[in-house]
Amino acid sequence: MTLVPVTYKGGIYQHDVIIDLIEDLGGYIVQKHIIAAEVVLQCFIPHDDIELIRRISKPLFGEVTDSPLVGTEIAVVSMSLEIHHLPHPSCDFAEYARRIGAKTNMVSPARGPGKRISQLSDEERDVINEHDVAVLAFGNFESCIEYKWPALRRGIEVPIIVMGGPDTETLKRIIHPAAEGYVGNVGRFMRRGKTEEEIGILDEIVAEVTRVVEKKREEIAKDPLSVSPARLMDLIRENVPAIHDVTSPTPLTVQMEGLRVKLPYDTFAGALRKIEIEDGITIADVAEIVPSRMRDYILVKILPFSETNTVV
Amino acid sequence: MLAIEYFEVECPEPLGAAYYKQITNDVLLDHNLLRVISKLHIFIDPKVPIFVAVGTLKKITSVVRVRDFASANPVSEKITLVISDERYLAPMLKIFWQKFGKDKVEQPDRFTVVLYNVEADAREIEDLVVADPSESLFKDLIYAFRLIAPEGFRVRSEKFSKEKFSFVASEDTLAEDLTTLISEKFALMGENP
Repeated sequence: MTLVPVTYKGGIYQHDVIIDLIEDLGGYIVQKHIIAAEVVLQCFIPHDDIELIRRISKPLFGEVTDSPLVGTEIAVVSMSLEIHHLPHPSCDFAEYARRIGAKTNMVSPARGPGKRISQLSDEERDVINEHDVAVLAFGNFESCIEYKWPALRRGIEVPIIVMGGPDTETLKRIIHPAAEGYVGNVGRFMRRGKTEEEIGILDEIVAEVTRVVEKKREEIAKDPLSVSPARLMDLIRENVPAIHDVTSPTPLTVQMEGLRVKLPYDTFAGALRKIEIEDGITIADVAEIVPSRMRDYILVKILPFSETNTVV
Repeated sequence: MLAIEYFEVECPEPLGAAYYKQITNDVLLDHNLLRVISKLHIFIDPKVPIFVAVGTLKKITSVVRVRDFASANPVSEKITLVISDERYLAPMLKIFWQKFGKDKVEQPDRFTVVLYNVEADAREIEDLVVADPSESLFKDLIYAFRLIAPEGFRVRSEKFSKEKFSFVASEDTLAEDLTTLISEKFALMGENP
């Protein structure tokens, strides 16, 4: 059974029917938003059942759309949190990607701006490495990007998408060693993008991120994970009641190869390890549970089949 | 950009220059500074790296008076002021309190101020100077140029006088003799520093 990430949008009336249906079919709901009288569900559903859900949700005016970024956590790395770089364009993209299902976090190095003086600390690097993909938002000058790129990418192991002022071709030419994705014509600007062209660039970034994410998914499919991250999320939700008291918007953040659990590591890591998935296999058997560099959260890294020899 | 007589951004990278022209325009527009600048030349060389902004300022003589944002209507012993723009309300009230005393000034709602038995007629009150925007002008200009300049350029040297200004920034130590560079850029606008 292949699970595909989709977004369901529909009225609030009888939306629990859809939730039950998704769960009965073996799907998982990653996020649920209720906005006025509308419900948005970001979920994984079995590929063969998409049509069934479409048919059942039709009388409820529900809409099922593909959203490949559901279940990914993206780091949007802005060179600083100063007004020079925020809210445009870093927040523009972060917010835009959230609408189509990605969980984006803004990460900003303490000493990111500048050319020669730009640097990335080990903590910042580790935080970026906890994400699935990193989008680095650079400035407008190609000589500057060329100079600071090696210093900023050092140690980052996740795929990087470079966003910068020069056009895409120029970015490809100046960036050594190569990044996984490039989006040009989106450097530093200090106003809200309103024109069709400016909004079109956001779509371009999304397309590039999607391409990189799909490529990573294909890589993972070659050596599948021992358990689906969405399944672990459901299990933790059932077995650790404390997660319901967390006020963060996504107490359990699903990633492509794991899960971020927003509970203190020292208190909950032991309990998490002991949760049984099925037939006596516990989470500790199929995943590594490590402290996250982000606050005192827990990071669950699911091991691939080649390491555990089990798939549950 | 009609308000500015001369506005150029010079940079070895043409695309970078176009971006910085847009940034400068947006920042100056946001901070309402286009009306005070008459000529502006910006030079950026990311390879050095250096950012230079030189320009001339327009004379600002306009002070904000009560009549610019309120109208006074005298009725027997009281004068009622109807406020159309709240921005200068606080400094105006402060001046009234100082001049007439708090017991004679009343503000029944957001857009109304009533003065009782004051020793001034409506015309005199309308003529009172409430604020002088040129007082904070240099502060605003420096803030705006800090926003325009690339963020890493934190070593700055700035000179602001009533008519002309220069703003130089870099991330490295600045050269000791900046005057030659500044005069070169002034010369491009047909001005002397």
